[in-house]
Amino acid sequence: MAMSRDDIFNQVREVLVDALGLDDGDVTEDATLMGDLGAESIDFLDIVFRLEKAFNIKVPREELFPAEAVMNNPEYVSGGKVTAKGLAELKSRMPHTNFSEFEKNPDVNKIADLFTVGAIVNFIEGKLK
Amino acid sequence: MEPGKTLTAVKSVSLAEEYLADHFPIFPVLPGVLLLEGLIESASWLVRQKNNFAQSMVLLESVRNVRYKSFAAPGMQIQYTISVKTMEDNASSFIGIGVCGDEEIVAAQFTLRHFNLADENPKMARTDGQVVESMKKRWKLLWQEQ
Amino acid sequence: MRWIWIDKFLEFESGKRAVALKNVTLAEEHLHDHFPGFPIMPECLMIEAMAQTAGILVGEARQFKEKVILAKIKNAVFYHYVQPGDTITLHAEIESIAPEAASTTGQIKRGDTLIAQISMMFSHVDKNLAGKHFPEENFVFTDMFNSLLSGFVDQKNAGGKN
Repeated sequence: MAMSRDDIFNQVREVLVDALGLDDGDVTEDATLMGDLGAESIDFLDIVFRLEKAFNIKVPREELFPAEAVMNNPEYVSGGKVTAKGLAELKSRMPHTNFSEFEKNPDVNKIADLFTVGAIVNFIEGKLK
Repeated sequence: MEPGKTLTAVKSVSLAEEYLADHFPIFPVLPGVLLLEGLIESASWLVRQKNNFAQSMVLLESVRNVRYKSFAAPGMQIQYTISVKTMEDNASSFIGIGVCGDEEIVAAQFTLRHFNLADENPKMARTDGQVVESMKKRWKLLWQEQ
Repeated sequence: MRWIWIDKFLEFESGKRAVALKNVTLAEEHLHDHFPGFPIMPECLMIEAMAQTAGILVGEARQFKEKVILAKIKNAVFYHYVQPGDTITLHAEIESIAPEAASTTGQIKRGDTLIAQISMMFSHVDKNLAGKHFPEENFVFTDMFNSLLSGFVDQKNAGGKN
């Protein structure tokens, strides 16, 4: 069953609307989960569980949201910024994410901005291939 | 309070509240469902006041996305703020949040249904009256005109 | 007043589902305020009864190693009110479970009548989701909850002595 990116986006949107109590219009490609959509720790897990159910796949949380492992490692974060090593680590764990903006200012507090709706759609697309 | 629109209420959490001994031993915190109850009670008062205590029963019909962001411990004072989304004679919907100072404790979206027992069974009219009288007395206690 | 909103388990399938029972009685003090003249079980306490049923199910699934706390109520819908003299049954099922959290769904019934439908999420707080610190001891699963499971699961895993 081949799903188009649009199909995947619509399904992901439904998941986010349900998990976060949003309106359809709130969920855009660039919307960040934490900043724009108000998701918190427990919501991340709610989203993972719902995605697993919706797409019938397994989604290990560290694959979709690996930031915690990186943020707590002194090799990857220094002086409030993600180091080159950290950046490489994040990129390898999150091939579905666009780092171009983040690289300009790899502030550790901005890692959350990497988690956009588009990133989730990319991730699912990758899993379904 | 802005009648029919918003209401703010406070609840102080005290170690004297009996159930805290079980919730939890050595780590007393207000149970999450009681935080929700605070939101529901606050919204119920908005309904009763707006409808002039026309209905005895104001009950929770549905709630979604109740998120517990932090714990409410003895000594804290929670401030609930309720905003009306819709308000009709027999149904209403709200968004509610509870904070302690700057810290967010709880957030929820919920709907209430309001009716009189006599609607189903006319013999219950007296009971409706009793409940309404008690609620009016309680309201006087809670809402002191400034 | 004790903070226990279920009276016994009727069925318990470790890691999967459980059914608990609660009798609603006029001896419950809060009923006299909710409402004076017409006591009914507050919906929030029905949610708590479900949370305790599902929470024990989730906790036992991981041998009570973690403190399991209600983190989110995804959805709760109520169809009827419940009065003293009623007996309600709480049917809970684990939907998903991971090291850090679990998601459950369930129904509250009075006989065959559907009273409520509730789905919720629990956080395993020792996995420190919120970044907060907790006392070592498992204060969530006390002896009071343990005694509910006697006859259903092997008791040596349960207990607050971890």
